[in-house]
Amino acid sequence: MSDLKTLTFAFMDPPFESERTVTFFRLLDAALERGASVRVFAYEGAVALAFARQAPHGNAVHGRDAAEEDHPLTREWIRALQEKAAAKDLSFEWINCGLCVDERGVNDVIDGCGRGGPPDLWRYASDAFNTLTIGTR
Amino acid sequence: MKVLQVIDQAFRTTVEEQDDTILWLTQSMRGAGGDLQVLLSGHGVHYAVLNQRQPPLVLGTWKQSQPAELVRDLTNLTESGVPVYAVREDLEERGLAGLPLQAGVELVSRAGLADLYERVDQIWQW
Amino acid sequence: MSDYLFIQSQDPFTEVRCAAQYQLARQLRDAGHRVHVLLVQNGVAPARLGARSEVFDALLGGGVTVSADGFSLKQREIEASDLKAEVTVGDVGDAVDALLAGSKVIWN
Repeated sequence: MSDLKTLTFAFMDPPFESERTVTFFRLLDAALERGASVRVFAYEGAVALAFARQAPHGNAVHGRDAAEEDHPLTREWIRALQEKAAAKDLSFEWINCGLCVDERGVNDVIDGCGRGGPPDLWRYASDAFNTLTIGTR
Repeated sequence: MKVLQVIDQAFRTTVEEQDDTILWLTQSMRGAGGDLQVLLSGHGVHYAVLNQRQPPLVLGTWKQSQPAELVRDLTNLTESGVPVYAVREDLEERGLAGLPLQAGVELVSRAGLADLYERVDQIWQW
Repeated sequence: MSDYLFIQSQDPFTEVRCAAQYQLARQLRDAGHRVHVLLVQNGVAPARLGARSEVFDALLGGGVTVSADGFSLKQREIEASDLKAEVTVGDVGDAVDALLAGSKVIWN
């Protein structure tokens, strides 16, 4: 617990499956809002949150084309948080579990999201002031 | 920094990942110097009384050749000095209380969890 | 004495494990620690006036402070006046404050 202003989060859920994903991103946003730097370890399905090929779509049931629908994408949420962190002169680091990426084929991730493994989670947690893990179900 | 890894679910991805992902994560972080303990609660207590390797899955022409070895994974942890606890009442609720515990696994009562939580710096609920 | 904050996403209507989670919060409180439970997602459901959950009501009576995430409440059109008397309106930012204060923050 050496850095007073860094929080580490570990998360396991993929996009578009669970309400946990929304709460997780809200926690990250709240951390930045309070002036804390953020480190994320994305484990298992959560590695798809940063997948660069996520694409918005229209929705005939909603009666809207792709532009009108403006579909949420987690890669854009990550980008928005990266931008918020930069504007506040905070760091926002994101590491995907590399094996989890490979087995899912989601290697193409947005800029600013790296690849690593469990030792990185331990390093993140050891260096941070505090850590929150959110498992999947 | 001492961390308690709480495994409350079991068999979540043991077929697909050929292990329990949190037992695997714990072994890997232990290798990186992590000061870790494991609490098996809820369905996680099943791991404390297993004796055999997981059954290989067969689907069509595909047969799993390397099913999970949860007994080995738990043994690796206990033999490397990671304390592993199982909740007594969770074993009892599931009719598992009469089965022998895997070597090195310690029983803890629900009433004893408060003390266990106080002996570590962080609790990581998975 | 330690400070604990449980982020409670599970609810007693869906998850039997909820009873044990509430019980642990109470045990930690009984052991002399400060314990807060922040209800999020469907975890807010038992906080509504008229919601029937003996295990949740026992939590409210056990000295643990309880709040419910405002966003989760809005999604379910639950107003502050709809909540049981012991439950206040909170926010996930409260969990971040607890992390930054060094509390043990645990996701349920």
